Amino acid sequence: NEHSERMRKFKNKGKDAAALRRQRVEVNIELRKAKKDEQILKRRSISFSLMDESLSPREDKRNEIIQLSLEEIIEAVNGSNAELQLQATQATRRMLSRQKDPPINQIIELGIIPRLVEFLTHADNAPLQFEAAWALTNIASGTSDHTKAVVEGGAIPAFISLLSSPHMHISEQSVWALGNIAGDGPLYRDALIKCNVIPPLLALVSPVTPVGFLRNITWTLSNLCRNKNPYPPLDAVKKMLPVLICLMKHEDKDIISDSCWAVSYLTDGSNDRIQIVVDTGILPRLVELMASPELIVMTPALRAIGNVVTGTDEQTQAAIDAGVLAVLPRLLQHAKPTIQKEAAWTLSNIAAGPCRQIQQLITCGLLPPLVELLDKGDFKAQKEAVWAVANFTTGGTVEQVVELVQSGVLKPLLNLLLAKDSKTILVILDTISNLFLAAEKLGETERLCLLVEELDGLDKIEALQTHDNNMVYRAALNIIEKYFSGE
Amino acid sequence: MFISDCRREFYDVIVSQRVLLLVASDVDALCACKILQALFQCDHVQYTLVPVSGWQELETAFLEHKDQIKLLVKQDDDLDVPAYDDIFRDEEDEEEDSENESDGSEPSEKRRRFEEDVIERTMKRRQRREWEARRREILFDYEQYEYHGTSSAMVMFDLAWIMSKDLNDMLWWAIVGLTDQWVQEKITQMKYVTDIGILQRHVSRHNHRNEDEENSLSIDCMRIAFEYDLRLALYQHWSLYESLCNTSYTSASLKLWSVQGQKRLQEFLADMGLPLKQVKQKFNSMDMSLKENLREMIEESANKFGMKDLRVQTFSIHFGFKNKFSASDIVYATASLMENIEKEGPETTNFIKALDSLSRGNLDKLHQGLDLAKKQLRAIQQTVASCICTNLVISQGPFLYCSLMEGTPDVKLFSKPVSLCLLSKYLLKSFVCSTKNKRCKLLPLIMAAPMDVEQGTVIMVGIPPETESSDKKNFFGRAFEKAADSTNSRTLHNHFDMSIIELKTEDRSKFLDALVSLLS
Repeated sequence: NEHSERMRKFKNKGKDAAALRRQRVEVNIELRKAKKDEQILKRRSISFSLMDESLSPREDKRNEIIQLSLEEIIEAVNGSNAELQLQATQATRRMLSRQKDPPINQIIELGIIPRLVEFLTHADNAPLQFEAAWALTNIASGTSDHTKAVVEGGAIPAFISLLSSPHMHISEQSVWALGNIAGDGPLYRDALIKCNVIPPLLALVSPVTPVGFLRNITWTLSNLCRNKNPYPPLDAVKKMLPVLICLMKHEDKDIISDSCWAVSYLTDGSNDRIQIVVDTGILPRLVELMASPELIVMTPALRAIGNVVTGTDEQTQAAIDAGVLAVLPRLLQHAKPTIQKEAAWTLSNIAAGPCRQIQQLITCGLLPPLVELLDKGDFKAQKEAVWAVANFTTGGTVEQVVELVQSGVLKPLLNLLLAKDSKTILVILDTISNLFLAAEKLGETERLCLLVEELDGLDKIEALQTHDNNMVYRAALNIIEKYFSGE
Repeated sequence: MFISDCRREFYDVIVSQRVLLLVASDVDALCACKILQALFQCDHVQYTLVPVSGWQELETAFLEHKDQIKLLVKQDDDLDVPAYDDIFRDEEDEEEDSENESDGSEPSEKRRRFEEDVIERTMKRRQRREWEARRREILFDYEQYEYHGTSSAMVMFDLAWIMSKDLNDMLWWAIVGLTDQWVQEKITQMKYVTDIGILQRHVSRHNHRNEDEENSLSIDCMRIAFEYDLRLALYQHWSLYESLCNTSYTSASLKLWSVQGQKRLQEFLADMGLPLKQVKQKFNSMDMSLKENLREMIEESANKFGMKDLRVQTFSIHFGFKNKFSASDIVYATASLMENIEKEGPETTNFIKALDSLSRGNLDKLHQGLDLAKKQLRAIQQTVASCICTNLVISQGPFLYCSLMEGTPDVKLFSKPVSLCLLSKYLLKSFVCSTKNKRCKLLPLIMAAPMDVEQGTVIMVGIPPETESSDKKNFFGRAFEKAADSTNSRTLHNHFDMSIIELKTEDRSKFLDALVSLLS
């Protein structure tokens, strides 16, 4: 039926036609694109010859692309002709540095890694050293097995040696390779440290080191600070920290970012590890970076400070003294949910401190943004905010608790009783109990009951008496029985 | 697929294949089809002809005949088709975005060194972002407006000419195709005049008058002549009076829907010294003495009455003793046949009849078309008059709006897209002449008419404002899509002209509201 055919088309709100139209355009374009294939091939070869010139300044200008088969590569690498060794290594490097799907497994299977590592020691053949270093870097950038193949080829001492190469591009490439090895995990990280990688690495940092090189160094350092189980050795940390502090004062954002990440790893541990960082006096700089508009800088700085306030009261005080409370409000309202969450988590840990620190929270105006986050924030951030409120009611004086209630925290808090997460509900119920305890001390229990009722909290608590979770229902029951059993 | 060499990349390729010809429902497309059919006949190309009235039919037909490999999109210099490299990026330039440089995630544990330097990559990334921003702008501009390029019939004729296979008949179809664009106001005045110039050269070539040979040419041979003719619709097959009343240019300029307008018409005729009785007769029966210098006379008087463009460059065709037709006559006739609401068989009958009427041998169909066209033009003028007199055209802010009610006389005629468009254009012209509101004169118009009463649907068209130097660009296609989306209105954007849609009557008000806010 022609009519019903037509009507069926209507149900789709005209989207079909629009989609059709887009499809039509695409079909046409695909046919046109086919023509472009010839051009693509030409472009590739041009870029190849350009690469030759720019990367190997000391080499004889080799502008022809030398295509070698894998067999030819093995032969050349294992032979003693330096020319061929270089050609083969370069060809290997090229394969490993193409944009998509480098054939790492294939290269490993050739069994040439030990030979490439050996090439790293050919001090008389810098181009060969460089190409080998690059090729090995790229193999080590793959999976753990790939990195393992490089390490087992004896690469670690060879690369550490090359850190002192008179050729900057070679030492830089070695930094990169070592970064990949360190990044594999604590095992290789510590192996590198045991092989004494840190002194020559740090020696590369100077006021005249080019920015690109510094970036690589900072990244490699961050990998040496990274990972737990175990943490990096303390003496290594103590050696790296001063340089990291220095790098954090650089103007390049990537360098700042990676050094902040390094410090965030170092603060993610026991209190004595936090202390080592605090002792450097870097906290004010971290707080300053927390206020940066650049996400790549602000994120690790926030993480580092967040870690610091998980420590002792004194360490938390150091963060407060460094000015964290001035920056935190804005971050609680950040557009990115993960930032909101980390800021709330940081706040919750400060609120777990003594009442003088809680007082500083109040004076620095942290209550309004906290309430707003509780009301409208991302759910994960709200959960952290709930903890902040809970900690506040545990550690705060009666007056401070009153201020908390007066800031309007109760309404959004009670609303969160509707959350699906039992843990959050329990924390809220706990908080409410704390509020009532404070109320009792002031003889204001009635008022609090009324307030809770007005804010539709009573209904919600009552409803929780039938919650699946045992602890939730018991906590809810407890509150009802104690304060709402209507005398 | 975009083609730059019509002969090598198109005709030479298909001449050895079986061809599927998908033809849209407008006169220009029909003319292009006729030319192609003539070429195919010449070269014994087998083909299947499928009329399509919209995107859905196009897709269906394509799917049914999927072995047909190529889809043709015509290449045209005057369409601002963006350059390939401005819109598409070859895949080799895709990079792994492993460094999320702007979103603050942790640094990668391992990094591979690519061919290029980091700085180069950053540069490339920056360039890419700039390129993407520019691309968005270009696509926005390109997709924002709809407008028309060279007539397809002219393109086909050009192909025939390149292959030295062009005939006078094909030239005539090219003329009709161009004239269709002019009648439907799809192209600018300048483009029209330029294309007329191009065709004129061909006409001279095919129809050169050699004094000696004039008598030796059989009267049955077809001849095309350039004319600086009156732009009075169908006047040679009607009465001058009817034509004056039912041509939108004269009707709007003289404001013939009003009593004063009628008076002005009388004055106009008197000024020309044309007795009413004569003028109301069939044109062919008018006194010869009056028809002499008619064009110059009318032009002179028209100037006095504010009608400076009463004549237009066009062509006419002569064959046999009686048969003389102006290009616009054929356009009106063919369009009316195509959109004839009297269904005489399956869907495609009207299409085929319209197509046939373009051949000289089918004079009966042509005459039927002319009759239907007269009915249509009358209906249009009456509807226009009624809309103006009853203030049916209202301003909605960013556009004017007019809706035809069910039960309005001839409303069924306007359930067809070309007729409705013609009505809308004439209505807007008349409205602009009638209103004193300066702002309203500059507004575009949206016109709605009932499409299928049972199904509760409405057909709606949007046309650009009436200005002296209009570039004829229409943004309604995009606007309609957006409005439908934002209100979840049930709409069908099936027509090739995206400024014509169908929608459910129930959704009309919210759709219009959305349009108003969109365009404000």
